[in-house]
Order: sequence, then C-alpha cells, then structure tokens
Amino acid sequence: MRFSSFIRHLKKICGAAAVLERAEDLMLYEYDGGIHTSAPRAVVFPQTTEQVARIMRLAAENKFPIVPRGAGTGLSGGALAREGGVILGFARMNRILEIDAANQRAVVQPGVVNLDLSNATRPNGLYFAPDPSSQKSCTIGGNVAENSGGPHTLAYGVTVNHVTGLEVVLPDGEVVEFGGKNAGLCGYDLAGFFVGSEGTLGIATKITVRLMRVPESSATLLAIFNSIEDAAHTVVAITSEGITPAALELLDGWTLRAVEAAAHAGYPLDSGAVLLIEVEGLSEVVAEQSEAIRRVCMQQKAREVRRAKNAAESQALWAGRKNAFGAVGRISPSFYVQDGVIPRTRVPDTLREIEKIGKRYNLTIGNIFHAGDGNLHPLILFDQRVKEQHDRTLAAARDILAYCVSVGGSLTGEHGVGMEKNELMPLLFSDDDLEVMRRVRDCFNPDSILNPQKVFPTSHRCRETAATPQITDAVIGRGMQGMEPRV
Amino acid sequence: MSAAQSQISLAAELASICGEEQVKEDATTLAAFAIDDVTPAAAVSPGSAEEIAAILRFASEHDLVVAPCGGCTAQATGRIPERIDILLRTNRLNAVEHYDPGDLTAGFGAGTTLATLQETLAKNNQFLPLAVASPSEATIGGLLACAAQNALSHGYGGLRDFCIGIQFVTGDGKLAKGGGRVVKNVAGYDLMKLLIGSYGTLGVITSANFKVFPRPETRGQLRTYMAEFSSLSEAMVFGDELRLSPLEPLCVELVSPRALEYLADQPAPARNPDDFAPAQPVHVGEETWRIAVRAAGSETVLVRYHRELGGAVSRELNGEEESALWRAVTRFAAAVAARHRNQMLLQIDTIPTAVEAAILAAQQAAVDNNFIPALTGTLMRGTLTVAFVPLSVDPPSAMQFATAVSALRAALPEESRAIVLRCPTEAKRHFDVWDNGSSDFSSMQAVRRALDPKSVLNRGRFIV
Repeated sequence: MRFSSFIRHLKKICGAAAVLERAEDLMLYEYDGGIHTSAPRAVVFPQTTEQVARIMRLAAENKFPIVPRGAGTGLSGGALAREGGVILGFARMNRILEIDAANQRAVVQPGVVNLDLSNATRPNGLYFAPDPSSQKSCTIGGNVAENSGGPHTLAYGVTVNHVTGLEVVLPDGEVVEFGGKNAGLCGYDLAGFFVGSEGTLGIATKITVRLMRVPESSATLLAIFNSIEDAAHTVVAITSEGITPAALELLDGWTLRAVEAAAHAGYPLDSGAVLLIEVEGLSEVVAEQSEAIRRVCMQQKAREVRRAKNAAESQALWAGRKNAFGAVGRISPSFYVQDGVIPRTRVPDTLREIEKIGKRYNLTIGNIFHAGDGNLHPLILFDQRVKEQHDRTLAAARDILAYCVSVGGSLTGEHGVGMEKNELMPLLFSDDDLEVMRRVRDCFNPDSILNPQKVFPTSHRCRETAATPQITDAVIGRGMQGMEPRV
Repeated sequence: MSAAQSQISLAAELASICGEEQVKEDATTLAAFAIDDVTPAAAVSPGSAEEIAAILRFASEHDLVVAPCGGCTAQATGRIPERIDILLRTNRLNAVEHYDPGDLTAGFGAGTTLATLQETLAKNNQFLPLAVASPSEATIGGLLACAAQNALSHGYGGLRDFCIGIQFVTGDGKLAKGGGRVVKNVAGYDLMKLLIGSYGTLGVITSANFKVFPRPETRGQLRTYMAEFSSLSEAMVFGDELRLSPLEPLCVELVSPRALEYLADQPAPARNPDDFAPAQPVHVGEETWRIAVRAAGSETVLVRYHRELGGAVSRELNGEEESALWRAVTRFAAAVAARHRNQMLLQIDTIPTAVEAAILAAQQAAVDNNFIPALTGTLMRGTLTVAFVPLSVDPPSAMQFATAVSALRAALPEESRAIVLRCPTEAKRHFDVWDNGSSDFSSMQAVRRALDPKSVLNRGRFIV
C-alpha cells in the first residue's frame, strides 16, 4: 500500500478531521519535552479502541511504523516518530470511564490528564498517586508507557505500583486484556510488565488504576543548609531514622537562586542547598515525624528548618520546585536535564563528581532532584545554537550517567530510555540481557512496527569497535519559559 | 539408549557440570523430593548461575524436564508434573550479595532462606515485609516464583512492589537480568514483574535485589486491636468503615469462626492427620468473626487508633501475645495442612466489594460437598486463604474435591478467582488447580515460548 492510500484509510477509519498531514500541522508533533528534527509523516487521533485496532492492523500489514503519543511532555523522545512514522495521538480518548470508589479503582482512557483524574476523584476522598511535575498536562497513557514517577513516589511508588489492569491493542491489531480491577495474579503479571515498556509492546487503550485515600493531614518543611554536603548527609540520616517522608527533594544553591528569582517561593538566597520535605498521614503521625525530621536536620547542621504554616505557604514552596525548569529557562538559552539514579548514600560523592565534570567541560550544572530515592536531575546549561557547546553538553551528560552506573545506579529513574539513552543501554545490560528483553518484545511487536528504534541500542557497533556509547544527539531541552517537562 | 543408560549419562553430565558430590540419584533422597508422586530422576545443587545455565542448555538439547526448587515448601501448588528429569536445587546460591543499610537495599542469592534474610536485615532494625510459615526453609527464589504474600501485604504491598532487580537463567540457558540495585529505575523492561508469580516456568531465578524497610517497631510499639462480630455482614460493615477512616494500619486480617482453632502459636503436636480432633476445641456453635487490626506508633498514635476503631474492639494485644497472633495467622494454611491429610487449601483473589459474596460462595461450596470451611483474609486486598477441611467420618473422594472447586468457581462474583494451593494428588486429575486468569492466555503462552522455548521448566505444571 502506498502511503497516500494509507492516509485515505486512516481518514475513513477516524474521519478526515482526525488526520493531520500538512507540514505546518505536523510541526507541532516533531518534538516532545525537548527539541527534535524528525517530523511524523502524519498524525491521527482515534476515538475508540476499535479504531486503534483497525489502524494497527492496517499499519502492520503495510509495515508503516506507528508511535503512540499522549501530551508529548516526555523527556526521552519516547513519543517522537523516528524515521517518519505516523503518530497516534490520544487527545480524543480522554474520558474517565468509571470511578469505583468502594474498590479504590478508576478505569480511564489513555488520554486522560494525570491531574484531571485526581481532581475527579477527590470528592470521594481519593487520588491517583503518581505526580510527575507535568501532571497538569501529561496523560495517564504516557505515565503507563514511561512508568512515570514524581516527588511523591518516594512513599507511594511509581506508576506500575498503581496500575492493576490494561486493555491493550497489540501491533497486529488484536485487542487483549491484561489484569483487571483485581490485583491478584493467576498467570503472568503482564499488566505489570507492560507498564514502562515505552510503547514498544502495544498500545494501552483502557487503564485500570488504583486510587489512594487523601491523607488526613500533611506538613511541608523547608530545611536550609549552608552546604550541599550537609543537605546530602541529612537525606541518609532521615531514612536511617526509619522515617519515610512522602517527598524529599533537594535543590542546590545555584538552582534555588534561579528558582527564587522567577517564582519567589521563599527560598533563602544565601544558602548552599535546601531540602523540601513533605510528610503525610494521621495528624498525630505528621506532628511526630515533622518534629523528628526537624531534629535530624538540625543535628546535620541545618541552618534553619521552616514549616509551612498553611496550605498557601506549602503551595508556594512546592511551586518553586515544580517550576524550577521554567525558572532555569530564564537564565540559559537551552538546558539539558538528566535522570540518573544512584544509591542515596552516594549522593555526596556523586555531587562532587558532577561538579568536577562541570569544570572539566566548562559548563554550569544545576542540581535539583528527588533526593529520597537517589534520582538526580542535573541541569546542564548551554546554548543550543553553538555546536561546540552542544557537543560538550552531551559528553558531560554521558559522563554523569556513566558515573551513576559505576556506583551501582541506573541511567534513568523516571524519564525512560526512549531514543535518548538507548545507545547507552550496554552500560547497564549485557548482550544476553538485551537479547532476552528483545525476545519478549518480539512476542508482541515482532516487526517493530510500534515505536521502532526505541529503548534498545540500534546497532552493536559500540561493542564491536569498543567505542564509548554515546547519548543520541536528539533530545535537548530548549529552556523555554513556562514549559513543564516531566521531572 | 536404554533407560538405565540414559540415567547414567544424565548423572554423569550433571556431575561434569557441578561436581559429583552435588548430584543425588539414590532412591531415598529422590523420593523425598517427589512432587505429586512424581519422583525426579536426579537432583542437583549447582553452585552458580553459570552452572545452572549449563544444566538448562543440556536439558534443552536433550528434551529433559527441569523442576527448580528452593525449600520445597510450596511445591504442592500446581498441576501434576508431566515428569521430572532434573530437580534443580538453589540451596547453594545463598550469599548475601550486597546490603547497604543506608540505602535500604539488599541483594540475596535465590537459595537464601527468608530467615537468613531477615536476620541479616534485623542487625540494622530493617526487614522485608514478608512472613511465611517456614522461614528457615522457604527461599527467596521460591517466594518470588510463587508471588508469596501475607498479612503485611496490606500495609507494605507485595513482592512486585519491593523487588527492584532480578537475575535469572532462561529455559534455554541464557543468563539475564532486569532492574538493578536502586529503588527507582525505568531502564529496560521490568522483567521482575514477569518472573514474580511465574512458578518457575520462565526462568530459574538466581538472585534478587530488594527495597527493604525499617522495622515497624522503630515507629513506637506494635499493637493489635481485635474486633469481634456475631456475623460476617457485621464484620464487613466494620471493614468498610475502616477503609474510609484515616487510619493506616499495617495489617487488617479477617478470621472466620472455624479458623480460630488453627491459630495456635505453636504447631499442634504430631497426630494422625486422618483424625479431626482440634487441639483447642472451638466452643460449639462458635459463630464469631474477627478482624485483627495491627498498628505501629507512639502511645499518642495508638490512642487515636483505639478511639477511631471504637466499640467493636474487644481486646488489645501487646508484646509477645501480639507477635504470637501474627505468627499464627502466617501459619494458618500450614497448620491446616499439618493436621488433616485430605484437606484442600485455596486462595481466592477478589475486589473488596466482592469479598463477602466470595466468602459465602466458598462456605456454600464447602458445606455442600461435606467440607468444613475455615478462612483468613487480607480484607482490603481481597485475598482470602480458604481451607476445606474434610469431615472426620468420611474421607472425601477425588471427585468431591473437583465438584467443590467447580461449585465454588461457578458461584464466585465477577473479578474473582480461586486457585487451589494444595489438595490430594489424585484429586488434581479431575480439575484444574489454576483458575482462568484475567490476562490474555495466548500472550502468556508467547512469553513462555520466548523465555523457555523447549518447555524445559516445570512442564505441565503452570502455563503450557
């Protein structure tokens, strides 16, 4: 089938208005949380599972690559059409199908916005726990594909811990069910396995999620430190006390000054680092834990620990954290955010290493991260227009990730591998590990029709020539003010 | 080649991989390892993942069937094996591979027992929120393969929530891994999810990494509130209120009237298992349903629990009495199995709103087929452990088990499943111990073929 006739079929399936093919329309879909050069050949917006299945069947028969896409807030290129595929957008599949309050479940279409679900279930005293910073715009389908996290995953886990069932359209167009409302197993946990597969196994068209009870009480604390080392040691000290805060975020001095200038969150400008800590639960527990955390922070040489007096103060403190990337965009023409993970006891030496890497490449690197689970988000500032700076940035990012892996960590904690880090996968996984993963992918997506050239290294060249694996020159944040990438 | 010759070459081949002293082929040893009366042709204890890979490659080449085993505490679960050529023991893979208390992460060889794991973590006041009846025998690999869960799963979630990395060998002998050593990680496919609950049919697990937790005692003290009800429906109302309350208990466990007699802390003394003679006779006409709510915290926090739980609570348990109760709850199924030869144990998974209907279905199916029902349940997860205890007078026939199971499944509400964890081998020939899963079966078969292409692992017992 020729591509033009494929388009005609898509229009027949979804309606002419649901297919975009003009260059100026496609431009909106050529990037995600960053900038990219590869435009899709078309974008189609199905409205039903049946339409998705028909599209997939047609695409599989004719070997046209398909890339599912939610809100396009991803940071690893997962929702970009490499090699000019067709994007399947879920903007029209955005209904909450059921809220089953008694069983603490909701059934949603993939295009439902993360925060919209929590807003809809809050009258029942329930919410959806995964809270990426992009939660005002990112979709639950995208959260499922990327196994998204967020600050509160420290206590409540990532997306996979909150998904119990999926309806999936396989690349050959077959519609299957994995799991359901019942979280118990009989057979393999295909729903759990599917979450985080980055659109390489199938397309989730219906998602059953677990809802959590809104806690009775919460407290937001801001611990202020003269040095980032003290802040880093405090993270370990808090968890060693047996306290698991709901969230435990660290901003270094450079980043908090950038944030303060833009968001006026109330972070002190002369500090070396701050920890933003949230505890939730029974009011008695919150009172005790807040006090215990304050004591630990002071023992670890905190200059001061402030507690938000009310919801407005708490929101202001969080606004600083959640809008940090936009704030950095005011300062630098471009930035590149990384997502390495390290054991939390290695935070201090990893921060020293990042500083060294910054010096080596003559780059400013800010640090903002989910300290409680060791998930770093180093922000490398550069100017995208200067090729040489761009290359130095990629090299520095690669060195940071290699260091994370060398201390027992991982390439990515929540942004996914996508087309950004797929060539780095050999740092973590052997050829055999990757082959076993490929075998499972091939059960579902044997011709790689769905989201091709993602997650897995595209060639074995790196190993054969013993050359160092490189970050794909593709996904660089453009530091646009007001952007809300998922971090 | 005659059977005797192939026997010799099998033992010799295993010896060449693992050393002669690691291969057992004497009848007495092998008989002790029989699963559903199927005796393995040889038992071998490899010392490394590489040796396991060599064994599985050999098995794949020669169409042999391998049954992986840890402490053999849950081998009663599953269909009758087609045959067992090699019983592959993981007992020598018992190293603590890493333990970083500050990171709250630890990695263990698959053959490490749960007791050893907990002892290791206890040195730093940490633990894995999992308890089983025989912690000194049950191994990490086995617990993962069976997706073990218990009362603590209410507050902490299950293994799928805290296993962060896994190493295993595929059926055709490839070493593979998923995840890693950090608590947050989305690099590569989540192979942990596939292996957990795969009952040894996708690979032989060789080691696993976990997120571990501070012991609940670090929050203050442990207390259990025992609420009593004269009927199941009253207990369910209490459960609904508890779900809506702001309380965050560690465990919420339902105990049926008949289950109480199996909740003695110490196992009953050895007796003829054909007799039905309760060690602690239940008061005739015992109709009390109980819900045990376990909480940890300071006195201030525990006072709040007392206030919120209200008048239904008849007793508060502390100290040794409190921990004894939870040890006993953990041992419920094992206690039933130890006392009655012809018992049947099932696990029912359902959703909270269907728990009451599922329990009524189980009770009816038991009584209609001359069994006495006894059950405990992790109420809000909708996981019930149900015992069908035979009446002492008439040993049940094989068909009686089959009839009871199909009656139960027919009466279960939507979104519910019943799997048989244990029943007499002869009964297994008459029905399927596995229920229809909710996941697409052909997808599961495809995954099985991808990771165990020659169907070497536990052939016939789970997904075929």
